[in-house]
Amino acid sequence: MRYVVRALGWATKIIWILMIFFAATSVYSALNVKMGFGQPQVFPSGGYMIISVPLFVNNTGLYDLSELNMTVAVTDCNESLVPTSTTFVPSIPRGSSIERAHNISISIDDITSQLLDYLFNDSVFNLDLSLKLNFARAIPFQVSTNTTMPWGAPLYNFSIGQISYNLLNLTHQELIVPISFENHSPHFGVDGSMRVEIYNDNGELLGFSVSDLNVPSHSGYDGQVETIVDVSKVTGSGEAHFYFETSAFSFGPLVMPYG
Amino acid sequence: MVKKEQTKSFARKFVPRIIKAALLVIITYLPLYFISTFIEPFQGFFPWYMPTTNLFAAVFMIFLVVGVFTSGTVYQYVFGVARALVTMIFFIYVLNGGIVALAVPVGGASANIMVDLRVILAMLVLTCLLMIGKNVVQAIDFVSAKGETKEL
Repeated sequence: MRYVVRALGWATKIIWILMIFFAATSVYSALNVKMGFGQPQVFPSGGYMIISVPLFVNNTGLYDLSELNMTVAVTDCNESLVPTSTTFVPSIPRGSSIERAHNISISIDDITSQLLDYLFNDSVFNLDLSLKLNFARAIPFQVSTNTTMPWGAPLYNFSIGQISYNLLNLTHQELIVPISFENHSPHFGVDGSMRVEIYNDNGELLGFSVSDLNVPSHSGYDGQVETIVDVSKVTGSGEAHFYFETSAFSFGPLVMPYG
Repeated sequence: MVKKEQTKSFARKFVPRIIKAALLVIITYLPLYFISTFIEPFQGFFPWYMPTTNLFAAVFMIFLVVGVFTSGTVYQYVFGVARALVTMIFFIYVLNGGIVALAVPVGGASANIMVDLRVILAMLVLTCLLMIGKNVVQAIDFVSAKGETKEL
């Protein structure tokens, strides 16, 4: 009986010592792990809009970190999910550091075809960040936060003004369409071309023209498009169809009535 | 004369126990004090810790003192088991069953932190169970030894 008591006593003492050692070194190691997220950046790339969230982890602790899993979910103000993306790092050994850019790719076509609001109206994206990892292969740890990212519409308040005509000869005249919009996007400029097609009330194409666009971030565009049209087809009112081909997005037609 | 002898015997019996109990209380209280001091800056994140720790410290020390005063009897082991049980319940409660979740304000936003300490909790519970087992075996040994002495 005495031996049993002695064995139990030693077992208890050994487990206590191991646990205190592990707890102390774990706290020390956890305090020596530096990790954080950088400022999210947005840029267009090959038909995609990339939201890049930089992540850095510097493990100067005593234990390895494993199974690091970072998930970012983006939702807009209507709570509709845009994309969810995941970055997985199998292991971060002690004494090493990693720096990864977590990229969220959003197809511009999706934005332009399904989420037209983003082109013409400002919005706010909610970024839900979640980071999971396994500390010392024994203690799963998870941190999650959410942050907001303002979205500026590249064609904010797009409108056409009063159309005017300039008679060239007996059969043709020049139709002048004033156009204005503001590029509210803090991330990219509207660089490319805009094709305008003018239709009369009967749906007949009167003429078209192509203009170059170069509207940097946070600046306005106030210009006009001149189109030569057949006088006999002009009805005084109709529709203008706009097609945009820029480095950031392709979109069209945007149909606007005139007259 | 007899009264003086009785007082002497009482003092001889209890003074060392009082000193032992006082020393054990100090030794037990020191780590709790240091942990509390270490935790104090973060107390806002887990406000339940302080009152629970104070209650635990009080109950644990009562059992400790009573255990010292009842040493030489089977009750010493009964209070030993009670102490181990209180310790086990305290760890389970403070570690929230092994899943600790905190909401930390970070620059206007809030970061939710979740730590899975079930492995640590399992080790703590195992230690407490070993302490309980040890006290039970010691109590059985004590009772059987007493029985044998009586028989002789």
